[in-house]
Amino acid sequence: MSVIDPRIHQALDGELASEAVPAELRRAVAQLVAAADLLAAPLPGPAASLESRVMAEIRRPAPSRARRVMGWLVTPRAIILRVRPAWSVAFAAVVAALTLFTTGHDGPELAEHEGIAQFVGRFPEAQSVHAVGTFNDWRPGSIALEDQDHDGVWRATVVLPAGTYEYMFVVDGERWVPDHLAERLVADDFGRENSIVIVRAAPR
Amino acid sequence: MDVRGAPPDAEVVALVLAGDTEAFGFVIRRYEAGLLRFATRMLGSRDAAQDAVAESFVRAYRHLATCREPARLRTWLYRIVTNRCKSHLVRRSVADVPLDDAPPVADPADTEAALERADLLVLVEQALADLSPDKREAFVLKHVEGLSYEEMAVVTGERIPTLKMRVHRAREALLKVLEDHA
Amino acid sequence: MKRWVVLASAAFLAAPLAAQSLRGRLEGRIPSAAIPAVDSLIQFASQEGLPTEPLIQKALEGGAKHVAGPRIVAAVQVTLGQLRDARDLLVRAGDQPPVLPAEMTTVAWALRRGLPAPLVERVVAALARPPRAAAMHAVADLVAHRFDPDSAAGLIIEAVHDGVPRERLLDVSTAALQQVQRGHTRAEALAIVRRQLPNVPAPSKPTRGNVAGARRPASPAPP
Repeated sequence: MSVIDPRIHQALDGELASEAVPAELRRAVAQLVAAADLLAAPLPGPAASLESRVMAEIRRPAPSRARRVMGWLVTPRAIILRVRPAWSVAFAAVVAALTLFTTGHDGPELAEHEGIAQFVGRFPEAQSVHAVGTFNDWRPGSIALEDQDHDGVWRATVVLPAGTYEYMFVVDGERWVPDHLAERLVADDFGRENSIVIVRAAPR
Repeated sequence: MDVRGAPPDAEVVALVLAGDTEAFGFVIRRYEAGLLRFATRMLGSRDAAQDAVAESFVRAYRHLATCREPARLRTWLYRIVTNRCKSHLVRRSVADVPLDDAPPVADPADTEAALERADLLVLVEQALADLSPDKREAFVLKHVEGLSYEEMAVVTGERIPTLKMRVHRAREALLKVLEDHA
Repeated sequence: MKRWVVLASAAFLAAPLAAQSLRGRLEGRIPSAAIPAVDSLIQFASQEGLPTEPLIQKALEGGAKHVAGPRIVAAVQVTLGQLRDARDLLVRAGDQPPVLPAEMTTVAWALRRGLPAPLVERVVAALARPPRAAAMHAVADLVAHRFDPDSAAGLIIEAVHDGVPRERLLDVSTAALQQVQRGHTRAEALAIVRRQLPNVPAPSKPTRGNVAGARRPASPAPP
């Protein structure tokens, strides 16, 4: 990069009065000021306020600990196979008792009416991607996709009871997007579209 | 709501910490335009900027008690947003991301000057995108957001001489682009 | 330890399941001001013999998407109307009341996916016995890929009458879609698949690697 006259920097840093700037340098100063003015101008297009989005997130009550535990226990379909390390031993033991199948080398055995759903999405800038839908009572966080090789392609393979489910991906905990690879879309009655996944019972 | 008649930052922070969640709306309305502009210039994408700024506001609300100088809330907010933008940038090369803020559409009735402004903005935006994130951040904080070097030091955690050097290098790169174009 | 764990888990299960209420599922998930209205809509649906789970899911969805309370209530009302329309369609097509909840949900799906009501009625009438979910989705998949709706329904109905098991019907639509991907017109694709009936190409199984990595959904949120 070329080094310019230091007086240009001094003028722009407010260390040199503009009257003291030599005539031959004033054009450069003016060009940079004009460039900054352009960048500082209001952005084109409609300016949607973030206020409602932010306040909605802030107002959302965090469920009490007791309610979260109850919710976990009575969730109709979710059977936990993976225990989070932060949980107490007692809950881990309950999880083990609730797990209906042992995990074999080939992965979980499927019950008669269970199948496998595969979620895939390309989100190269994402820090997290979750599948949220009727299979987990629309709770964000319970089905996390992973991008293990950091190629921007996020995946999850999940055991679910056979049936039809609506869902969306939630990117970085905030952005709701339909699964465009799913090829089945339906209006969500909230102005967006949900994707549909049909889980078929595994052939026996 | 007209935020000019709204309480000063220190008072708003006190209200929110005392339990008045809705008072945080003052903070959002007061600062979102500037933060969005900054994040848009940093990330080159309006959508990404909205995500980054929205998340920053939520974080600011949740960690409001850690804002040591409520009277300097603006600087504190810029700090959160610069960190958020850094996280966004770590995973991608900005050069690969097209600037999705279209230049102002030129009305046929525009004067030559307006058309020139539109062309110049495209040029400047591209030059900004070509800068390294550190230099871009320093230039935008200084010349677009109007922070002092002292405020920039608080926002970025960098020493003032470092920041000055980055701003100077950014100016040189921009000037070269402008002079080549002229 | 193991016996204690089994007994403890039974105790954990019994009480919460018995105490589980609709409000318990909605509280903390949707704006509290909306709960009474949603509750009464769900009670109403229950009294009419309509399935309630789709209404609960719609409310939970609205809460998760940070939708305002009145809009959630409106969406639940829309869902209620869709289920009512679905029930009426099934009765018109020949199902005797009380109509099965799963069939009402299936028909509501089909209508939401854009199948015209007369077409849905035709499929229901042609498949006298439930379950019709696979058939409906198979037809909807074809229509979504711009197959002629009547021809698509015709193929699926024929597959059923040829003895293709209900759970294989999605393979029939997939086979037709694959023929189009190979370059055939949609009409040709339907004809090719029709000629193969009742044989249908087997579905592709998930790979061993994928199945080994499969897991069930984690808990809602760590304490």
